[in-house]
Amino acid sequence: MISLPIVDGNPSGSGVKAWRSRPHLEQDPQLVETVSEEFFPGASDAPSGSSRRQFMQLLGASMAMAGLAACRRPVEHIMPFADRPEETIPGVPLQYATAMNFRGTARPLVVKSYDGRPVKIEGNSQHPNASGASGVFEQASLLQLYDPDRSKRTLRTGTPANREDFLSLCQRLQTGVRRVAILAAPDNSPTRARLRAQLENQFPDTLWVDYRSEGDDSELMGLQMAYGQPLQAAYDFENADVIVSLDADFLGPHAKNGNLDTHAFARGRKLNGAQDRMSRLYVAESTYSVTGIMADHRRRMRADAVSQVASQLATALGVYDGATPDAFASAIARDLQGAAGNSIVVAGESQPPEVHALCALTNDALGAVGTTVTLLDTGIPIQAAQSQALPALVEEMRAGRVDVLLMLGVNPVYDAPQALDFRGALERVSDTIHVGLHVDETARASTWHIPAAHYLESWGDGRSQDGTLTAVQPLIAPLYEDARSEIEILAVVGSGQFQRGYDLVRETWRPVLSGQDFETAWRRVLHDGYLEGTGYPSANPVVLSFSGELQGPSTGLELVLRLDPTVLDGSFANNAWCQELPDPVTKIVWDNVAVISPKTAEDLELSCEYSKGRYYSDVVTLAANDQVIELPVWILPGHADDTVSVTLGYGRDISTTRPERDTPFWDKDDETDIYARGTLATGVGTNVSLLRDLLANPVIPGVELTKTGRKWTVVTTQDHGILDTEARPIIRMATLDEYREDPAFALQGEVPTPGSDVKTDFQDYPELWKDRHPSKAASFRDSDYWQNQWGMVIDLNACTGCNACIVACQAENNIQVVGKNEIGHGRELHWLRVDRYFVTEGGEELDSDPKITMQPMPCQHCENAPCESVCPVAATVHSPDGTNQMIYNRCIGTRYCANNCPYKVRRYNFYNWSKTIPETVQMAQNPNVSIRFRGVMEKCSFCIQRIRGAQKRAGLEKRALQRDEVATACQQACPAEAITFGDLNDEQSQVSQATRNARSYKLLAELNIKPRVSYLARVRNPNNALESAGQT
Amino acid sequence: MTSSNDKTVTLPAGADPPLVTGNLGFHDITQLVSYHTEKRPPSAWYMAIAVSSTLLCILLIMIAYLVWNGIGVWGNNNPVGWGWPIVNFVFWVGIGHAGTLISAILFLFRQKWRTAINRSAEAMTLFAVICALLFPTIHVGRIWVIYWTLPIPNQMEMWPQFKSPLLWDVFAVSVYFIVSLIFWYVGLVPDLATLRDRARNALRRRVTGFFALGWTGANRHWRNYEKTYLLLAALATPLVLSVHSVVSFDFAISIIPGWHTTIFPPYFVAGAIFSGFAMVMTLLILARKIYGIQNIITMDHLEKMAIIILLTGTMVGFAYITEFFIAWYSQVEYEQYAFLNRATGPYAWAYWTMMSCNLLFPQFFWIKRLRRSIPFLFITSIVVNIGMWFERFVITVISLHRDFLPSSWDYFNPTIVDVLTLAGSFGLFLTLFLIFLRYLPMVAIAEVKMVLPESDPHFYDKHESEEH
Repeated sequence: MISLPIVDGNPSGSGVKAWRSRPHLEQDPQLVETVSEEFFPGASDAPSGSSRRQFMQLLGASMAMAGLAACRRPVEHIMPFADRPEETIPGVPLQYATAMNFRGTARPLVVKSYDGRPVKIEGNSQHPNASGASGVFEQASLLQLYDPDRSKRTLRTGTPANREDFLSLCQRLQTGVRRVAILAAPDNSPTRARLRAQLENQFPDTLWVDYRSEGDDSELMGLQMAYGQPLQAAYDFENADVIVSLDADFLGPHAKNGNLDTHAFARGRKLNGAQDRMSRLYVAESTYSVTGIMADHRRRMRADAVSQVASQLATALGVYDGATPDAFASAIARDLQGAAGNSIVVAGESQPPEVHALCALTNDALGAVGTTVTLLDTGIPIQAAQSQALPALVEEMRAGRVDVLLMLGVNPVYDAPQALDFRGALERVSDTIHVGLHVDETARASTWHIPAAHYLESWGDGRSQDGTLTAVQPLIAPLYEDARSEIEILAVVGSGQFQRGYDLVRETWRPVLSGQDFETAWRRVLHDGYLEGTGYPSANPVVLSFSGELQGPSTGLELVLRLDPTVLDGSFANNAWCQELPDPVTKIVWDNVAVISPKTAEDLELSCEYSKGRYYSDVVTLAANDQVIELPVWILPGHADDTVSVTLGYGRDISTTRPERDTPFWDKDDETDIYARGTLATGVGTNVSLLRDLLANPVIPGVELTKTGRKWTVVTTQDHGILDTEARPIIRMATLDEYREDPAFALQGEVPTPGSDVKTDFQDYPELWKDRHPSKAASFRDSDYWQNQWGMVIDLNACTGCNACIVACQAENNIQVVGKNEIGHGRELHWLRVDRYFVTEGGEELDSDPKITMQPMPCQHCENAPCESVCPVAATVHSPDGTNQMIYNRCIGTRYCANNCPYKVRRYNFYNWSKTIPETVQMAQNPNVSIRFRGVMEKCSFCIQRIRGAQKRAGLEKRALQRDEVATACQQACPAEAITFGDLNDEQSQVSQATRNARSYKLLAELNIKPRVSYLARVRNPNNALESAGQT
Repeated sequence: MTSSNDKTVTLPAGADPPLVTGNLGFHDITQLVSYHTEKRPPSAWYMAIAVSSTLLCILLIMIAYLVWNGIGVWGNNNPVGWGWPIVNFVFWVGIGHAGTLISAILFLFRQKWRTAINRSAEAMTLFAVICALLFPTIHVGRIWVIYWTLPIPNQMEMWPQFKSPLLWDVFAVSVYFIVSLIFWYVGLVPDLATLRDRARNALRRRVTGFFALGWTGANRHWRNYEKTYLLLAALATPLVLSVHSVVSFDFAISIIPGWHTTIFPPYFVAGAIFSGFAMVMTLLILARKIYGIQNIITMDHLEKMAIIILLTGTMVGFAYITEFFIAWYSQVEYEQYAFLNRATGPYAWAYWTMMSCNLLFPQFFWIKRLRRSIPFLFITSIVVNIGMWFERFVITVISLHRDFLPSSWDYFNPTIVDVLTLAGSFGLFLTLFLIFLRYLPMVAIAEVKMVLPESDPHFYDKHESEEH
């Protein structure tokens, strides 16, 4: 064995001894310490102690032991495979069931992993409380894992520390002398509940406060007010005939139960035959939300006036003695009564608990409880509202009665009400421990920061909306050694020892799975991702009478704070996909704005000028509760007057250790790389949570708005434009009555394509090239692929515009992020965009009350594709199975195809965007999709890699491709099931059936390009009583 | 220069006015033209080459910057895939039309006045086509594989896509360039021989002698020369019409409203001649003044060019109006909007610049006095080319920025790189033209001599009979 001399302060082997001075040689302990501390901690730690060989033995042993986890690959260490682990074939993805905690509830997921690298997240379709769909945030959470700015090391007062130091802190806690307080993001994990109970047992004076950045859970409080016990409401939007939303954006991407509710709501409005039923949705809201888009009747009003509608409704229905109902409320009340219990009245997060209570009363009076409204008993005891508990905690902290504050996944320094002065209170606590993904505002203000493990890196559990126990299992070892999951931190604080999350979770589940063989049952749970039959029991409580006072509308401008539909409360602010995701309604990217109505803008002389592809918005100051912030305004048609809508989650300040990219002046990489200058979130938008009062009320009355005279450039992916549906039949819509009269209304007035009507069958092909259409060429017919002809149908009646498809497409197809400046140039790369059209009908005032319709726009895969014939190098061609393919390798980048595309769905790599993506983000790329170089065109491929993957699988299994076996990423994600994809040759496939739907039409069919994507026209279901009265 | 008063000749009554004024004889013309290639150029030439070669350097820097960073350095974006580079391409191809038209078509139509201007017009054509070829080359995203557009046999058996108008462009423009180059060179041979014979040093004699192909002026040489010239003229004539027709197919073949029009081929050809003549006029007004050859390139020549500008300008204007009529007549919303958007949309300023420069301004040429006013001709020739650049901008950018789906509408903003690249292309063009002026006879000596009254074999017969 070769023994090399080790230059070491404490040499363990023989050989040369190196020393710096006499005291050093004589081992003066003080000096040795100084010498070793000269360097960055850890840097001067010598490779002493166990030998390399011993280390390898230990490593191997732990690897072998880790293998006991059996049902998945080893958790603890990533090592090259000497022997192939069971079920793993390199390059073939594996899927694992897991779940993500979203606003306190577990969302069941299935995650695809390539060679140990999670690359795509989908909903768990087998879960009893999940549709298989996934929203914006589940999709984007993948990039959260690979965020290059994630915190990597344990920090103590901002400098790297050893985990052992933290351990000793926790050990010192065990004496119980010091008082611990915990501030944690909501999470219904049973393991966390168990650890919390343990902790509270051990240290009875422990203070635990659940912290939601958006403030009180007014729905929970409202139900508590109405029923006297904490309940959770589950709504059956599928079977409800009449739905009333009082400023409730229940379909929004940020809605707590958005995916499932969207799924059910869309099902309640599916029209396959002329006599199908369709629900009716009334919305009273202040801003234009995704739910408002779907409304059949939408009334815009101040958020604090919405309570009046609740009061009027309740009064009309005789359950409350409030305001006299107006025509709108009485019409709704009559409609609700006619629905015979199949109705839902739901209030939004901006509404106070009283309004929620009133809605509960109304639902109860209408007999909806038990039919369309289910009340679930979560078994969680009544807790003080956050608006009470948080100030109380801060008071304790300030009084010095808290010694250790543990903050789990929260960022109160950023988003706690400014009046609390949380930062000041933090300084009075001797040990503050922040656990989070980033070194954020709170991390920097705390004495300790522990990097949190992402949910894809940690063991855990949770409950889905209906209470079904759901497992969280890791797909990858923590990318950073120091990262710990929240339950692991809780355990170490409680016990003074590091415990593996795996053991913690299993310990919780042991009693749950008692009565059967634990290992078998546990494996089953991990395989399925959930445990059947563990939902919350439904409760049948007696409604209490409600006599609370409803606050009427205030005067002056009101400000309404909401969660952002793209960055949520700021936890997704450093996520490139989320920042680049256009707001569903305003289509703004990389910014937050103060949204006002055109009339308010006129009154306040504010403008938002469109000039040369960008908007130049007036910057205003908003002052409330002794705080002033600055924001650019945004004028949104359909927004309520005298109210300002803002979203949380911007104005973040996250630290990073990544160096800045610096290139010579001739190289634009530093400009085009979004990661070049620090963190993404830093400097984008303004923190609006500062304006909140002590109670963190989302509606702030009497806000002062002053024009600063400055302008701010706001960038959108789409400019304003009122669509005249008569002239451009892009969006086709009708009322339910019109639809019943003529189900094929969408084809009326359509310019016939030469020769005949729109064909649905590939066989009927065209007149222009009757016998010589390329699809009939021998090379096509002889191809095996010819058997399947792929097509897509998008139901405009279902699409809410929630953006889930865009992020799913981005994750699946390695679509790069280009940043605000490049989007301002019009160079966004999203393959799939969701077009938003304001629609006004004859004689209506243009700006005030337009309807909005969304239209997802992927490549239409035209059979006579105009892009194909103009490419000089045949880089875009048609496949025998009818897709329009882009051959990146062949593309020389003339951009002629993009010019000639009537849908403008082709996207061009103006810069080498893939060159600059950080290493960790490279790990997020799907290995089955090429990374595009600069200078080439790209576009939607109908997820050809998924089609080919399924065909390959079928080929290996020596079987034919099954019906509807292939799903595109957008289809799979869509919570509304608005997208159907499949084989048009198969008469019985879902897509063939959808194509035969009477509402089906093809966009720009008159160009004779024969798009493979059909749209199902939108149908509204207005209440004729209101319609005739001229109310909408 | 020698005066030639002693050779004064009187023309028979009723004859056409002389194409060469000032009673220049054969030797005077030789002297007048070749003299400039032999002496030090005037200081104006030095100033001009300093400016133009600076611009050329800027062009090279811009191209290097572009290739290093990507197409993003230009203003192109998602709806507007083609921006200034394609505008510049069509603009330069258009300019490159006048030369061959003058040499070939006017030659076949026996328009003798062409002789004074054809050499420089052809040179201008070549240089303009070089500028034109530059743009489609640099505007592709991956310039290092641009040879894929050429039908080069390869191991992948992958051929270009012959349905694409861009490929037709590759062939049309390169064929045009090659034929124009040969045509120009063939015309140069007798003059190169003249330069060779006048050469005072060995090097000059060698170089000019090499390119003069051993020309001795023998009868046999002249016969072959004239046959070749005639054949080449016949070959070049359809090219004049085809090149710009093919260029117009880039737009006409597509389905974008504002592009998809069958009027494009004739309209583009008329526009090309229009701009080409304007450019010839700009250059020659300066050159004839600086080099003192007003007697060879006379006011009559300029007036004839002005008339052609008037004619083609009106044709182009007619096409503009026809497009509007057809848009209305089609009853297609997208088509109607495309044209309405040109006249009233965010780029209305560009549209009205085009309309006033191309349709309105040349109408002043109905007035003879303005047709013969040098300053007015000079200004108009520049205005016309500004207008023609904007015409291509209107067609390319305005049609693209708003097409079928309003959701994808956007705006195109040029960048400084766009501007400097256009300026740089003028640098390339002018540098080449100035080098031409310096080293080659800017007027076709032999051909001008042929149109002198004295070169008519019966000229002296008439003379003698009058004397008797």
